[in-house]
Amino acid sequence: MMGLLLTLFSPIIGGFIYGVERVVKARMQSRQGPPVLQPFYDFVKLMQKRPMMVHSFHASMGIMYFISTWFAMAVLMMGNDLLIAIFFHVISVLALTIGAFSVRSSYSIMGAMRELMHVVSYEPVVILLAVSLYLVTGSFDIAKILTSDITPIFSLPLVFISFLGVMPMLLHKSPFDIAEAHQEIVGGPDIEYSGPFYEAVYTARWIEYVYVYFIVFLFGGSNYFLGTFLVVFSFIFINAVDNSTARLDYKKMLKFAWFILIPLSMLNIFFVVVGAN
Amino acid sequence: MEALIVLSIVLPLILGAIIVFAKNDILTSLLTWMMLPVMSILAFMIYAADLPIYVDTPHVLHWIITLFDFGLLAYFLYLGAKRKSMLVSVLSLVQFILLVTVIWVLPESSTANIYVDKLTAMMYLLVAIVGVPIAIYSIKYMDFDEKDKHLFVGLVVAFLGVMNFAVSANNIEWFFAVFETTTLFSVIFIGFRGDKEAVDNSTLALWMNQIGGVAILLALLIMIKDFGVYHFTDLLIIDKETMSMAAFGFLSLAALIKGAQLPFHKWLLGAMVAPTPVSAILHSATMVKIAPFLLLRISPIIEGTLLAKLLILTTGFVFVAAAIFALTQDNLKRILAYSTISLLGLMMLAASVGTPTAVAVSIMLIIFHGFAKGFLFIEAGVLEKVFKIKYLQEMNMLLEKAPLTLLFIFFAFLNMTFIPFGVFVGKWLMIEEASGLLSQGSSVLLIALVAIGGVFLSVLYMKVLGVTIKHHRFTDIQVQKQPKTFLFVAIWFYLWLLALTIFIAPFAGDFVAQISNSLTGETTPIHADGLSLVVGESTLYFWQILGALLLLAFIHIAPLKFKFKNVDQMHPYNCGEVYTRQAGTYDFLFLKKYEGIANMIAITLFMLVVVLGGQLL
Amino acid sequence: MNDLRAKSPWITHYNTGGCNGCDIEILAALGPKFDIERFGMLNRGNPKQSDILLVTGPVTLRCRDVLRRVWLEMPEPKVVVAMGSCTHGGGVFRHLYHTENGIDGIVPVDVWIPGCTPRIEAIIDGLIEGVEIWKNKTKEKEYMVGHSEKLLEKIGVLND
Ligand code: SF4
Repeated sequence: MMGLLLTLFSPIIGGFIYGVERVVKARMQSRQGPPVLQPFYDFVKLMQKRPMMVHSFHASMGIMYFISTWFAMAVLMMGNDLLIAIFFHVISVLALTIGAFSVRSSYSIMGAMRELMHVVSYEPVVILLAVSLYLVTGSFDIAKILTSDITPIFSLPLVFISFLGVMPMLLHKSPFDIAEAHQEIVGGPDIEYSGPFYEAVYTARWIEYVYVYFIVFLFGGSNYFLGTFLVVFSFIFINAVDNSTARLDYKKMLKFAWFILIPLSMLNIFFVVVGAN
Repeated sequence: MEALIVLSIVLPLILGAIIVFAKNDILTSLLTWMMLPVMSILAFMIYAADLPIYVDTPHVLHWIITLFDFGLLAYFLYLGAKRKSMLVSVLSLVQFILLVTVIWVLPESSTANIYVDKLTAMMYLLVAIVGVPIAIYSIKYMDFDEKDKHLFVGLVVAFLGVMNFAVSANNIEWFFAVFETTTLFSVIFIGFRGDKEAVDNSTLALWMNQIGGVAILLALLIMIKDFGVYHFTDLLIIDKETMSMAAFGFLSLAALIKGAQLPFHKWLLGAMVAPTPVSAILHSATMVKIAPFLLLRISPIIEGTLLAKLLILTTGFVFVAAAIFALTQDNLKRILAYSTISLLGLMMLAASVGTPTAVAVSIMLIIFHGFAKGFLFIEAGVLEKVFKIKYLQEMNMLLEKAPLTLLFIFFAFLNMTFIPFGVFVGKWLMIEEASGLLSQGSSVLLIALVAIGGVFLSVLYMKVLGVTIKHHRFTDIQVQKQPKTFLFVAIWFYLWLLALTIFIAPFAGDFVAQISNSLTGETTPIHADGLSLVVGESTLYFWQILGALLLLAFIHIAPLKFKFKNVDQMHPYNCGEVYTRQAGTYDFLFLKKYEGIANMIAITLFMLVVVLGGQLL
Repeated sequence: MNDLRAKSPWITHYNTGGCNGCDIEILAALGPKFDIERFGMLNRGNPKQSDILLVTGPVTLRCRDVLRRVWLEMPEPKVVVAMGSCTHGGGVFRHLYHTENGIDGIVPVDVWIPGCTPRIEAIIDGLIEGVEIWKNKTKEKEYMVGHSEKLLEKIGVLND
C-alpha cells in the first residue's frame, strides 16, 4: 500500500526535491533562488505551451521515457527484486536515447551517445550495489532489505562511497553532467522536446530523483532514521559537488567509474566475503 | 521411438542429398517446406516420449563411421595440400596418427552409442524450429544473384541432420566424427562463394576447428587410459572424487574453440563472407551451440573443480572482451558475430558453474539466443540483398528505407538484452546465482564479469538501434514490398519470440527447469506461479513482464505506426543555421589497440585451462 | 493558472551582432546580486523550451535568418524583448553596410529596453514587463513580420 502511494506521488515528491535542490544550490552560490514550488510552476507553464514536435516518433519517445521511468519506479516500490528494478531503468534509458537518436540534430545525437557512456559508467556499479546488498542482508527483496536487522551501510561503506560517485552520473550533475551539458550541447537528449513533450521528460527526471534517493535509503536497512540521514547527507554532498566542480569529459568519467568506483565496490564485496568466512 | 530418432538424424541428410542431385526448383521448395512440420513433429514426439532413450546401433555402423573419419581426414589433408596450408596438413596428420592410436586401444563397450535425453530433445526442437526456417529462407536468398542454389540449400538441410547427430552421440569417438563433419560443413559453407577471401577464411576455420578435433582425440586417449570408458553416460557414473581432469580439460578446450572464444574467434568472424543464411545457421541453432552443449554434458563432472573455475574465468573474460570489441565494429554482421561470441561466453560460463540454476541459464540462453540471432541474421541478409545495406553507417534513416525490416531488427535486438525477454532472464538469473555463490564464499570475480559484460552488450544494442533510427525526417513512411518467404520466416521468428516471452514463466519454470533437473539430478529452484516466474526468493511478476512487454512493444512499433494528430511539426534546432548537419556516433576505435592484449590474456587463460585445469602438472 | 505560469518564464538570449556590452549585463543579472532566478527565470539557451526571446544587437544580415528561425522554434505563448539601443534601429551600428538597423522588421517585439547598455534594473524591469504581456497571451500561433511561404522557403524551414 505504502509502495503504491509512493509510486503515485513520486512525481510530486521528486518535484519537491528538485525545488529544494534549486534553492539549496542558489543559497550555496549566495543567491536567493526561486521559490520551493518553482518546478510545479514550470510544470503548469509547460502544460500551457503550444505543442510542437520534430516528428511523432520523437515526441512519443519523450512520453515513453516518462512512462517507463514511472513504471521502473513502480517496480522498485512494489516489486520485490532490486535487480529487476535496476534493469527496468534501462528501458527508460532506451526510450530516451532512441528518441534522441531519431532526430536530425547533432546535439541530440551527441547527447544520446553520451547518455550511453553514462550507462556504461554507472550500470556496473549499481548492479554491484544490488549484489552487495544481497550479500549482507541475504535477499534481493526490497521489503526484506528494509526490515533486516543488519544495517548495510556499516558493512558496505565503500559501496556507498562508490554509489555517491555514480549519483552525479545518474542525476546528470556536475562534474558528470556530460549528457546534458547545457552550455555545450544545449541539454543533449532533451533538446528537441518542447512544450508538453518536454514536460514529460522534465517530470521523468524528477521521478529519477526519487528512484536514486530511494536506493540510498536502502543503505539504512531497518534503521529508517539512519536511512533518512544518508539521503540528506548524499543530497547535500551531491549539490556541493555539483556547485564546486567543472564538467569533465566522458573519458574521464569512464576512467573514474571503471578504475576507481568498480574496484572500490569489488574490494568491499571481497572483504565482506572474506569476513563472512 | 528409436525409429523416430534415427529418422530425425537421417531424414535431413537424405532430403539434402535429393535436393542437391535433383536440381529442381519445385522439389527444393517442396522438400524444404515439408521439413518444417515433419521435423517439428518428430522433435516434439521425441521430447514428449519417456526420456532418456538409448539407441543400440549395429556394429558395422561403428566401422562405417571410423572409415568415414579416415576419409574426412584424407580430404582435409588434400585440402591442406591444395591450399598450401602447412597448418591444415600437419593437423590432419596429427589427427590421423591419434585416430589410429585411439582405434588401436579402443576397448569393447556395450553402452549404446546414441543417447537421447531431454537436452538432446531440446536441441532437436531448436534445430527444427530455428534451423529449418533458415533453410526455407535460404531458398529465396539464393535467388538473388547467387550461384549453386540447390547445392547450397541441400547442404543447409543436410547440416541440420549432422547437427542432430552431433547432439545425440554418446560415443565420444562418434562425437569426434560429427565434430569434424560440422567442421567440414563450415569449411564448405564459408568457402562457398569461391573467391580468395572466402577460401582463406575457410582455411582459417578449418585449422582452428582441427585443433578442437585434436583436443577431442587427446581427451579420448586419456579417457581410455584413465577410466577405460569413452561414452558420456559412462563418464557420468564414475565417482567424481577420484577422477582426473585431464580428459575434460581437453574436451573443454574443444568446446572453447568450437564456441569461437577469444583468441579463436577469427573463424566465426570469417564466416561472414559466406552467404548470410550460413551465418544465420552457424550462429543460431547449430555449430557454435555444440560448445555449450558439450560443456553441459560434462558439467556435472567438472562442477566445482579447478577446471570449472578456470573455464569460468576464460569464458567470463571473453564475455566482457568480445562485448567491448563489438563496439568498435562497423559491419552489421561483424557486430552480430562479436555479440554471439560474447553470449557464447556467458552460456559456457553458466554451464561450467554447473549448479541447477546456472545450467538452466545456459539452456535458456541457448534457446533464446538461437531464436534472436537467427532472426537478426535473416534480417541482415534482407538488408544486404533487398536494400543493399551492409555497414552501420549506411543504416542511417533505415526507417525511411526499410521500415518493416527495422521493426524486425528492433524486436530482435530488444530480445537480446531487455527485460522481460529470455536472454535477459538468463542474465538476471546468472547474476542472482553468482550472488548466491558469493555468499558461500567463492568467485568474487564471477559476479564482476557477469555484471559488466551485460552492460556492454546493452549499450552495444542501444547504439546499433540508435544508428538505425538516426536522422529520421518528416517524410511519410512507405512500407516496401518484401519477398513473401522472407516475410514468413521473419514473422515466424517474431511470433515464437513473442509467445515464449509472454509465457516465459511456464517455459522457464517447467520446460527449462525439467531439462536442468535431468542434467544435474537436483531440483532447480525455478518454478512458475501462474504466469509469474519465481526463482528462489525473487519473483518476476507477470505484471512486470506484461508492463515491460507493452512498453517495449510500443517503443518498437511507434516508428512505424504512431502519429500525433493536430501537432505542428518544427525543424530540429540547429543554432538557427540553414545547412543541415550530420552527426556520427562514437566508434570506439581507440579500443582496437587493446585487442592484441586481450588475445594474449585469452591465450594464457586457455593454457591455464588445459594445464592447470586438466591437472597436467 | 496564468498567474502560476507567470512565475516560470524561461529565457533564450540571442546576440545578433552587438558589442557584447548587453550580454555581460545579462550575465550580471543572473549572478548573486540581482539573481533573476528569484522570478523563476532561467537562461535555457534553447528556444524550443523558452518563453522569452531576449535579443541584443543590431541584427546583422548574417544573423537575420537565424533570428527568424530561432523565433519560429519557440512555441507560443512567447514574447520578444529587445534590449539595448542597437536593437532599436541600430544604435551605434545604424546605417552600416551589414546591418538591418534593428529588429523591428524581422520579428514582432513586445518590450523595448532602452539604453546602451541598459542598467540591470532596467533589464529586470523590461523582463517583468514582458512577463506581464506574456501572461495574457494564448497558445494561438503568431507570425513573423512579413510572413509568407516564400520567406519560410528561404530560411529553409519547409524542407528541413
Ligand atoms: S546596445 Fe550598446 S552595449 Fe548593447 S550591444 Fe549595442 S552597442 Fe553594445
